[in-house]
Amino acid sequence: MENKLVPIITVPEAATVTEIRDEIDEVKTFFFTFDRPEIEEAFRIRSGQFIMGTVFGAGEFAVSLPFSPESDRKHISVRRVGKVTAALHELQPGDKIGIRGPFGNGFPFEEIKGKNMVYVAGGIGLIPLRSSIVHVLQHRQEFGRVILVYGARSSKDLMYKESIRDWKATSGFETYFTIDRPEPGWNGEVGFVNQLVARIDLPVENTVAFVCGPPVMFNSVIKELKIKGIKEQNIYSTLERHMKCGIGKCQHCAIGRTLVCVDGPVYTYKQIKTLGEQI
Amino acid sequence: MYWLEKDQVVKLTGKLARDYALFGPRRDEVSGQVIFDRLDEPGRLDLQAAIPYNPPKFVLFPHYEEILKYRYQKQTRKVTIEKIDKLQPKALVGLRSCDLTGILCLDRFFLGQEFVDEFYLEHRKKLFLISSTCVRPFPQCFCVCTDSGPAAREGFDLDLTFTGEGYLVLVGSKKGQKLVEELQLKTAGPEAAALRKKMVDESVSSFDSFALENKAWISRATNRLTTGFVKPEVWEYIGHQCFECGACSFVCPTCSCFNVEDVNDNDGHTDRVRTWDSCSFEGYTRMAGDHNPRKPVEDRRNKRFFCKLSYSQSKKYLRPGCVGCGRCARVCPGDIGLPNVVTYIRREVTGE
Repeated sequence: MENKLVPIITVPEAATVTEIRDEIDEVKTFFFTFDRPEIEEAFRIRSGQFIMGTVFGAGEFAVSLPFSPESDRKHISVRRVGKVTAALHELQPGDKIGIRGPFGNGFPFEEIKGKNMVYVAGGIGLIPLRSSIVHVLQHRQEFGRVILVYGARSSKDLMYKESIRDWKATSGFETYFTIDRPEPGWNGEVGFVNQLVARIDLPVENTVAFVCGPPVMFNSVIKELKIKGIKEQNIYSTLERHMKCGIGKCQHCAIGRTLVCVDGPVYTYKQIKTLGEQI
Repeated sequence: MYWLEKDQVVKLTGKLARDYALFGPRRDEVSGQVIFDRLDEPGRLDLQAAIPYNPPKFVLFPHYEEILKYRYQKQTRKVTIEKIDKLQPKALVGLRSCDLTGILCLDRFFLGQEFVDEFYLEHRKKLFLISSTCVRPFPQCFCVCTDSGPAAREGFDLDLTFTGEGYLVLVGSKKGQKLVEELQLKTAGPEAAALRKKMVDESVSSFDSFALENKAWISRATNRLTTGFVKPEVWEYIGHQCFECGACSFVCPTCSCFNVEDVNDNDGHTDRVRTWDSCSFEGYTRMAGDHNPRKPVEDRRNKRFFCKLSYSQSKKYLRPGCVGCGRCARVCPGDIGLPNVVTYIRREVTGE
């Protein structure tokens, strides 16, 4: 199934930002195409990988890839959080960015075929999981139950509303949403996502869970999943670290003996536990 | 083995200087400090000088290096990116075995993994390495504890051992053989190999009388680190002594962490530069948005020792990441150079 991946390692490839969408407050989605047709043609990713993007004149940033490996427009979703991402948010359609990658291991789809998929996301933690969700829905018959449990601070902070609407139309996609505090017009759940995980009926046997969100949410959700009986080696997460090179040399992204850029960003909770560092 | 007369060293360096940029130890006239440096005049090479205060890693991995140059014209949205070509043949003369071992570690790390570091490779491609046996150790040395000296065993093109009269020359590569032939060096007598061995053995024995500053029972510390038996109190004690200056990383022959930044020139170009970095700095792991998974100093400080003593396997060093040069112990204002930390780990010193 995997195409041969030849990442862009050293010199960024120029790409044109074709469309910019306001996603939620401070988060925009940037659609892009490579300027060189042969790169546009050859660029392949695995779900869960990331790229190093260049905002010319500002610097590089590491960002996970939300689009599916197949039949999906290339895009990234980025929150304005530092110097480089602030410069990225200033860009207009037609502007250029640079791309290196894709880097990292990605989700092990070969190993998890046929299983129930439980996605638990908090806030913009849905971004790195999106690729995998789209991929799974595109191959719906190859998996068991597919469940998304998604929490955000408020209804305005829920990402990818359009995509979620499309996904819900797919048969056999179960969704649960929660927001931190009650809101007028909100009929869904209220409370933290870990509390929602505790309440709902989730499959345990033959199940893999994907967790992504802020560190506090991550730890509390893992706790609930473990109480339910999901094994540590079946809980996957994708981690974020300060990154500079993407190819395992600068070592900023070291967690224990591993480097997030080459050994990650996808880890099982079992691995994470042995690394001896905070998340 | 071959024989190089004392006064033939100039001939050797002169010949090398024609094809290579020359690097080696020199004594600074003002401070008396020994520096491993670019030698514009081959005559400044001082093979008898003490161990240089700095390792030679900067030749392959400069402090500040422009790796890419790009220009983005906002109006026309035209972008040009070029890789900076810097292939320059370099000769490193008078490398001590610890420093040569450091280069071999860097080779394995930068070139021997899933991805090859293209910039390091450029520097490495045309390198001539001449090592030099330490016939007597310096006070800071502990290479006998780290299996990286006092004499080189691999990785050199030529290796020199000073007998007092001249140099025994060991050839380590075809390139080295070619140079020896070009210089028409005499073949050393049949007793040469035995003489070199005797001198190296004597050097090893003299560590007890001369190399008194540092000792490091590394295997014991490696074992405790790898099996996770170092108590948090020990790391806190070590962490509290750290000034977070990064000096240990900068003088370490095997430390290779770097930062990458885009620096805008006045002429509309941007240089992508990489600079040395250190895991002791708070900003090292701080992400945009200020989340820092390694905020407390002890969480950061212990990583250096895990990196040197326990993670060398995943870095493909094929040996410990410490080469026993003793420089970190010399420069550390908090007295937590590697040998001391190894001692703390062994004794589980928690502050008494």
